[in-house]
Amino acid sequence: MLKIKNLKASVDGNQILKGLNLEVKPGEVHAIMGPNGSGKSTLSNVLAGREDYEVEEGSIVEYLGEDLLELDVEERAKKGIFLAFQYPVEIPGVTTATFLKEIINSVREAQGKEALPAPQILKLMREKIKTVDLPQEFLKRSLNEGFSGGEKKRNEMLQMALLEPQLAILDETDSGLDIDAMKVVANVVNELRKQDRSFIIVTHYQRLLNYIVPDFVHVLHNGRIVKSGDKSLALELEDKGYDWVKKEAPQTV
Amino acid sequence: MTNIQDKHIDRFLTLFQSFEGALNGEKGHPMHEWRRKAIHRLKDLSFPTRRHEEWKYTPVTKVVSPTYSVNPNSELSEKKLEKFKIDDLNAAVLVFVNGQLRKDLSDLDQLPQGLQLMPMSEALDHPDYQDIVKELYISSTEKTEDPFLAMNAAFSKENMFIYVPANTHVTQALHILHINTPEELPYFYNPQKLIHLGKGSKMVLVESYNDLGEGDTKSEYFNNMQNVIHLKGNAQMDHYKLQRESTRSSHLNNTSIYQDRDSVYSNYQLDLGGLWVRNNLNAYHKGENVTTNFYGAFLGKGNQHMDAHTLVDHAIPHCQSNELYKGILDDKAHGVFNGKVMVHKDAQKTNAFQQNSSLLLSEKAVMDAKPQLEIFADDVKCSHGATIGHLDESSVFFLRTRGINEKRAKEMLQEAFLLEVIENMPNESLRAYASKWIAEKLASE
Repeated sequence: MLKIKNLKASVDGNQILKGLNLEVKPGEVHAIMGPNGSGKSTLSNVLAGREDYEVEEGSIVEYLGEDLLELDVEERAKKGIFLAFQYPVEIPGVTTATFLKEIINSVREAQGKEALPAPQILKLMREKIKTVDLPQEFLKRSLNEGFSGGEKKRNEMLQMALLEPQLAILDETDSGLDIDAMKVVANVVNELRKQDRSFIIVTHYQRLLNYIVPDFVHVLHNGRIVKSGDKSLALELEDKGYDWVKKEAPQTV
Repeated sequence: MTNIQDKHIDRFLTLFQSFEGALNGEKGHPMHEWRRKAIHRLKDLSFPTRRHEEWKYTPVTKVVSPTYSVNPNSELSEKKLEKFKIDDLNAAVLVFVNGQLRKDLSDLDQLPQGLQLMPMSEALDHPDYQDIVKELYISSTEKTEDPFLAMNAAFSKENMFIYVPANTHVTQALHILHINTPEELPYFYNPQKLIHLGKGSKMVLVESYNDLGEGDTKSEYFNNMQNVIHLKGNAQMDHYKLQRESTRSSHLNNTSIYQDRDSVYSNYQLDLGGLWVRNNLNAYHKGENVTTNFYGAFLGKGNQHMDAHTLVDHAIPHCQSNELYKGILDDKAHGVFNGKVMVHKDAQKTNAFQQNSSLLLSEKAVMDAKPQLEIFADDVKCSHGATIGHLDESSVFFLRTRGINEKRAKEMLQEAFLLEVIENMPNESLRAYASKWIAEKLASE
């Protein structure tokens, strides 16, 4: 599904990713863990296509056999990539319902499906909003405006559930969440887990991985994956702390 | 010193002669005496230069230079009228084509119940109305310092006196519908309305300005309009102006509002059309506990120039004013907001709020924002804010990551930006209509 080879990327001239390799197969859940500043958010943003991030020559990112880096941001979304933001933006004046209607039909259109009529979309939204435990009246409110941190993350999960992506990247979705909200995130992911859908869960802590059991755990340090393993690696990290990997990791030249 | 500007005045004086010649029988009426006084006044005035503080950002030369025709035709088929009506709006409609009233297309015999409407000349002959008309009108002729007001009075033909008797709630709206058509020569017209709301009365006035021309055939004209409005004690007025003039036209809106105690005046304004647009909205408080609301939204593209000048004259204690103006400027468009709030020494306990926010979408777009608070009382609450910014890139990115293309994402954010103004309109049909206009303009190239 996703093949990343030798990915190097920089922001404002500072190289953050320094040759990252990762392969995600259909149906797999990969957790990417790492200390602050290791490049976790840069990876998420590069995959989603944020323009402030400069990807260097020689980097290869293949998604479903296509060169992902050549695709516009919206093209990536239409081809099934979803990024759950660490800090979802507030958009005053655009109601959540209007926004959801727009994105559902935009993605459906790109996938050659018919646009859903308004009443059907509304029904779908009303059903799905229950799964993220947000009150129905949030649909009428401006997108994320005045939402608490947890409500914003639930709203991200609602969008993911409605768009049914092929590859979902959760960028520190768990940060700042209480235990109930975290369970909601885990439930939505676990509900969506299936053979041809993959997840990349970027997180600082092991906590979320108690509820979403990953197939692989990778440790990102200094712009590279320095250690990979199964779910037990997350527990080991929790126990020993990131200093343990930092010491083991080969120093950059 | 003002030779060049005098030349322009002279041209309008000459134009008045041909205008007067075409008036025929009306010349004998006292109304015409007023026109002559106004043109006489114009002789003593000159058009403002950019050295004039109120006209610093808005040059008038292009507006006053053409030789205008004063007698454009007023043809329009009934079929073409339909698309300019406002969906679901409960209103009596008066149709003006190129500034001229088309009685046959208007609901003159089905006016909103309770509302009186007549030409000013008729009101002048009416014992109940003549004093009111004189009082409202005199300020815009003999004493005015503004050449455009003098011009409006001198060339006024299709003028109107609107009267709402005391304690009358007019539930149906009055819709003044202007449609312009392309003519061989640029033309010019001067709509004029005197509006009197009796004690405890209510009315809704909707003005819409439209162009029938498209692309290269857009109409070329100068609409020099004036409203003088008097709200007696406890009267309420909702006043809408939805403007989609030709992008080859000039649109000058002079609206003065005099408010007696406990009255509430709300103005909702949407400017999308016009090459040169200037709004002068002036509210004067004449009694306690008056409320003035000014809401304005504009969207300029191409070479459009859009100027909103407002004045709230707080002369009396215990009055409120709210102002919210938001504008978007793209391409080489130029926006101006000049909001003056004058709080006189006696106007204690004044509550005045003003906010102006603008978005610039291109390197060459310009916004001049000038909030102007002059406060001479010491026990008041006055606040103002002016912001000029760009479309938020992270919001655009967010929408794009959800599969919305860049152009549509930007449209959505612009719509949302102006919606903050539009959503204050109490009438749902007008809110929907204004939103539709905005969406259409955003989607146009």
